[in-house]
This record gives sequence, structure tokens and C-alpha cells, in this order.
Amino acid sequence: MLTRKTMLAAAGALAIAMPAAAQPIPVGHLMDNSGGTSDVGVPYGEGVRDALAWVNASRNGVNGRRLNVLGFDYGYQAPRAVSQYQAWSRDRVVAIQGWGTADTEALVRFVTRDRIPYISASYSAALTDAGGRSGRQGVEAAPFNFFYGPSYSDAVRAMLIWAKQDWESRGQQGRPKYVHMGANHPYPNSPKEAGEALARELGFDVLPAIQFALTPGDYTAQCLTLRQQGANYAYLGNTAGSNISVLRACQTAGVQVQFLGNVWGMDENAMKAAGTAANGVVFPVRTAVTWSEITGQAASPPAGFATLRAISRVSDQSGNASRPVHYLAGVCSAMLMVEAMETAAANGGQVTGERIRDGFYARRDWVPQGFAGVCEPSNFTNTDHRGTLRVALYRARVTGDTSQGTVAELMQNGTMRLEPVTTITLDRRADWLGW
Amino acid sequence: MANVSLLPAGDYRTTYRADTTIFPTRNSRIALWLGLALVAASPLFFGRYELSLLINIGIMGIAALGLNILVGFTGQISIGHAAFFGVGAFASAWLHESFHIPVWACIPLAGVITAVVGLVFGAPAARLKGLYLAIATLAAQFILEDFFARARWFTGGVAGRLTEPLTLFGFAFDREETYIYVVLFFVVVMFLGAANLMRTRDGRALVAVRDHYLSAEIMGINLAYYRTLSFGIASLYAGIGGALYAHYLMFVSVEAFNILFSIQFLGMVIIGGLGSIMGSLMGAAFMVLLPEVVQSAAEALSGSAIDRLLRIGGSISYLREMAIGAAIIAFLIFEPDGLAHRWRLVKAYWKLYPYSH
Repeated sequence: MLTRKTMLAAAGALAIAMPAAAQPIPVGHLMDNSGGTSDVGVPYGEGVRDALAWVNASRNGVNGRRLNVLGFDYGYQAPRAVSQYQAWSRDRVVAIQGWGTADTEALVRFVTRDRIPYISASYSAALTDAGGRSGRQGVEAAPFNFFYGPSYSDAVRAMLIWAKQDWESRGQQGRPKYVHMGANHPYPNSPKEAGEALARELGFDVLPAIQFALTPGDYTAQCLTLRQQGANYAYLGNTAGSNISVLRACQTAGVQVQFLGNVWGMDENAMKAAGTAANGVVFPVRTAVTWSEITGQAASPPAGFATLRAISRVSDQSGNASRPVHYLAGVCSAMLMVEAMETAAANGGQVTGERIRDGFYARRDWVPQGFAGVCEPSNFTNTDHRGTLRVALYRARVTGDTSQGTVAELMQNGTMRLEPVTTITLDRRADWLGW
Repeated sequence: MANVSLLPAGDYRTTYRADTTIFPTRNSRIALWLGLALVAASPLFFGRYELSLLINIGIMGIAALGLNILVGFTGQISIGHAAFFGVGAFASAWLHESFHIPVWACIPLAGVITAVVGLVFGAPAARLKGLYLAIATLAAQFILEDFFARARWFTGGVAGRLTEPLTLFGFAFDREETYIYVVLFFVVVMFLGAANLMRTRDGRALVAVRDHYLSAEIMGINLAYYRTLSFGIASLYAGIGGALYAHYLMFVSVEAFNILFSIQFLGMVIIGGLGSIMGSLMGAAFMVLLPEVVQSAAEALSGSAIDRLLRIGGSISYLREMAIGAAIIAFLIFEPDGLAHRWRLVKAYWKLYPYSH
């Protein structure tokens, strides 16, 4: 009798304990698959999704608990993101993989209140002021906002520093002219003032900003303005699809400007679509490698390369898909979150928002384990969420007709190349925090 | 439109008062109180998701009713309703933040501000009809949208504006379980208001303008006055709906109030039934619930044999938009009088069963 009773009790205890241990961890994943930035939103979202699915499949989730990833396509409409956030907070998600600048900035106050780490694909500098110490107008403390890569402002600063060097090394006379281009939207607007301020400091003439919409269209008028003003360096603030329209229109109009793309402004797909119009565009790349290097014939490839190929196979069993730079950034961003969750769960800890946030502070020069050689190191502190100040600049090289063949083939036969230009490491200036 | 009377035979009205009562039969009054009681008790048995849908139906219903007064009762047209909805949302947020007026007062004030804006933009309606008026309201949509994106003092610019929840005597209505009562209160007030309006001289004047403007004018109705007034009333409703939306979502941004949203309001009115008070609420319910139904259908489909066969995959989100379009077309073909008419037919069928013909 006694044994039966204890057995029953043990079974009962197990039955209660088992589901608790194996209960999945709810995670929100906000995507833009149909809105104004879907051209880059789709590959980035795939990167995040595949990485999290891979964590579930190969590592059995975080500390034995699978991730229950709740995906939502919000079509780049901030209000939809806010109402979805409210649904997620009811589902008690412990962390969210986000997307755009408008929605992320709108949600800062909510995620701070609910203590939910929010890993955005918006790199707006306003999200880096974790302690609220910058004292900038309109910037509030964002202790639960993180992102992987340099902020938009730091990226444009690095490109301006390079532009200055470029101007001098080409032996040009006089003051170079810089112009900011983009839609009237929080995302292109985010680095506008920071870029223009540094441009003045570096001795550029800053021209009045030129507006063009986030969606593809005819931007010949904008190109003619560029030529008329005699701009030398133009920052493209929109995503790839919309920038292509500008590049092509400017090629047709015969405008000679060095374009500086933002981090979402150029990728392999855009190079194929724009053809030789994209030739020469300089833009920041967030990962240590690009897809053509991962699939290429390296002598002794880092272990991360094989991992990346395994992750890519989650949504592409053939293994032939070509992944643009945004896919890799999505993987790195997802893996930062996963590892912060693992830190939270270590030693029997609860996976709560606060503990995940602390997980982001646990390491210096942090590269997710097994992703060395792919993801760049990040450093987060509880007052400064500028994960990295190192900006690797690449140049898009398109030498021939891109209308024939896939992106992978074009990259392989050298019609399209991503050429490293330089890497600029900015100072961690206190007055640049949150700006 | 076939108006089926559901009054018992021999029930003749002897006064105008009895003839214009809103809820003519005892059963309709019982149904009303039962419905109100059910909604009031819904937090007891509904989750937050279902409550959020109910709240959205209420908010959209108020705004759709406004458009129905304009389109269904006065025979005007507006494809700028979402912009007025936006004016209400921003006005309420702005009033609260800049002048620290309590939110419960901001909501009606925002309605009044929107009504004034509506009167200004409705001015062309005094002279224009049909397509010309449609284009004039289209202009209102674009002018207001551009204004929202630039007027930082009012809207917070393109970044949008955060709003505060409604508080009354220190009690915050900041969750679905509580906010539903706020919306319910406004739904009751606004719908009773509209039903009563239609019984007054002004309401009947609006209908007369719709039915035949020349006859109306001959009967002494000031066309310009009533057409403009109709815009003002429609905007008042849109403004109140927008303000309720702002304090529910706690964030307003210009992106929400685009022309597609305006068309959606028109869809609600057409699907619900032109010139029907309750139809506005039905249309709003339909438009709010349809995407959710399609979404859950799509989720059920994803990964299934049909999904693999048709290779829907990532495009499943487009299914939602397509279904909405298809539903509107289907309604125009099969149910041009809207849900309200279908509901009357259903009621008549049971009332007259088995002798419905």
C-alpha cells in the first residue's frame, strides 16, 4: 500500500513538474513582410525565424524549454505593432524581436513598464540611452531596448569620416557637399541631424535634405536636384527597394554622386535589381562575413559557417538559397537574445524579462557561442546600449548585366561583389549617446 | 428596400409619439436590455483578445455610424473619413497633454473640434455632388494626412504621440476589462443620439435631401445648410471614435489614418446597410471580425496539405487583404442592402414561419 501511495505521489509530482519544466517560452517576433520596408524585412525576418527554429531543433530550445515564437506581420504600420504588442504582453512573452523605428520608439515606454527586452531591427540612436542620461529632448531612458550592430547615427558618422578621407585621397579641392536623402519618416529621419552636425564639423557643405518616399517610384526630380546642387556625397536613408529607384533614376540622368547607403539601404538583391546603377554605393555591413564567403571555398572556414548553412537549411532544404546581408544580421540578433535567455536560465534561474536584460550585460566583446567569424562582438552596459562602435564599410561592385542568372550565380562569377572598403571605429563619445 | 413590419396584426398606432418609438415591440426592448447586459458582463466570460475585438467593434461602429449619417441618410459621399477619425485621435491626445484636461472631457471635446474641422472641409458639399464631392473629400484626406505628418505641436510629427489612459475618480480604464465599459457607454449614447436625430425635423430633412434634393428644396429645406451640417455630424462621430481609439491604443500615429482606412469605413457602411443605424454596428463588426477569421483560417491552413499544394507559405498574410476585398464584392452583388436588411429578413422569416410567403 505504502509503496503504491509513494509511487502515485511521485507520479503526481512528476506530472505536475514535467509540463512546468517543458513549458515553452513565448517570444514575440514582429515582421514586415508586406509593408513599405518588406524588401529587407522579409530576409531579416527569415533570419530571425530560422535561427530560433534551429535553436529549438538542435539545442532543444533554451535550457530544455522550447521557444514558442509568435510571429506577426504588421505591414510597417506602427499602430498595428502597438496593438499586437498589447496582445503579446497578455500572452506574457519574455522578449520580443522587433522591426521598425516608428513602432520601436513608440513601444519604448511600454516595454520599459512591462520589463520586456525588445531587440529591434531599428538601430535608431535614441534607443541606446539605457540610463536616460543623455538629457536630449525627446529621448527617454530605454533600458530594455537592444539591437545588434552600429546605430544609424554612428553608421552615418563612420561613412562621413570615410567620405572625408576619400575626398582628400582623390585630391579634390574645396569643400565637399553632403546631402541627406530619405522619406519623412522616423527611420530615415533618425540619423539626419547627427549626420549633418558631423558633416559640418568635418568641413562639408550641408545641402538641404531631399525627400523621397519609402516605396519605389520615379525619383528623377530628386536626382536633378542632386545635380543642380552639385552634391558630392548623398546619404540614402530608405530601404533597398526605394533606394534602387533613386540609383536607377540618377544613372539615367547621368548624375555623378557618391551614394552612402544606410544599413538597410543596400544588399545583394538590390544590387541585382539595380544593376550597374548600384555600382560604387558604400554602405555598412553588420556581420563579419557575407553569404558568398560562407558558401565559398575558404581554406579553414570557422565553425560558424557550417552553423549558418544549417540555419539556412531550416527554410531551404535544398541548401541553394542565397541569403542577403540582412539574413545574417537577423541570425546574429536572434542569437544574442537566445544567449541572453540562456544566461537568465543558468543555474536554475527564471527566464524573465529582467534577467534576460541582465543577460545582455553578462559578457564583454560578446559573440554568441559558435558564431565566431560570423557575428561581430557587442558590448552592452546598463547605461549605454551602443552595442558596437565599429562600422565595417563595404562597396557594392556591379560590373556587368545582372538580369541573367540568380544572385548566387552573379556573386560567384564576379559580376556582383561586395568589396570591403575600410573599418572605422568611433570613439564612445558621451555626447553622442542617444543621438 | 423591402421594409418588413414585425408588428402584430391589429396593432395600430394612435399617436405620432408611438409611431416614432425606436424599439417598437416588447421583444425588441427585451433584446436590447439583454444585449447590453451581455456586453456589460462580457469581461466575466471573455478573454482579453475577445474583449479587444468588442472594443474595436464599438469604436469603429461609432465612426461608421457617423459616415452612415452622411452617406446613408444624407446621400453625400466622403472618402476622407479616416482623416477625421485621426483629427479626433490627435486632438484628444493633444488636449490632454498640452492643457491637462482630464481624458473623459477630452473625448467629447475632441469630437467638437473634429466637427468644426469637418464643417470646414464639408463646405464644398454645399455646392458639389457625386463624384465632384468625392474628389473634394479626397483632398481633405490628403491635406489632413500631410498636416498630421508635419504639425509636430499637434501630432508629434511622423513619430506619433503617446496618450494616457482614461481615469475617473482615480480609477484608470487602462485594460480591456475596464475600457469596454467606456466604449459601451459611448456606443449607447452615440447610437441613441443618432436614432433620435433621425426622428427630429433635422433628421428627416437629411433624409429628404438624400431622396430628392429638388423636392426637398421646394419644401423649404436649406440644402447648403443641411449638407454641411451632415458633414459636421459625421465628423463629430468620427472624432469621438478616434478619441476612444487613441486612449485605447495609447499611441497615435499618422500612418493609421490613410485612405485605405477611409475606404474601410465606406465598406462598413455598405456592408452594414446604407441608412441603417444598427447596420453601422453590424458592418463594423463584420469588418473587424473578418480579418481575424481569415487570419485564424490561414493559421489553421499553414503547413497543411493545401498550403503545400498551393505554396502559400509566406504569402499567407496577403490572403487576409484579398479576403476583405472579395467579401466587399460579394456583398455588393448578393446583399446590396447590407447586413441590416438580411437581419430583418431573418427576423421576418421566423416571425412568419411557416407562412413566410
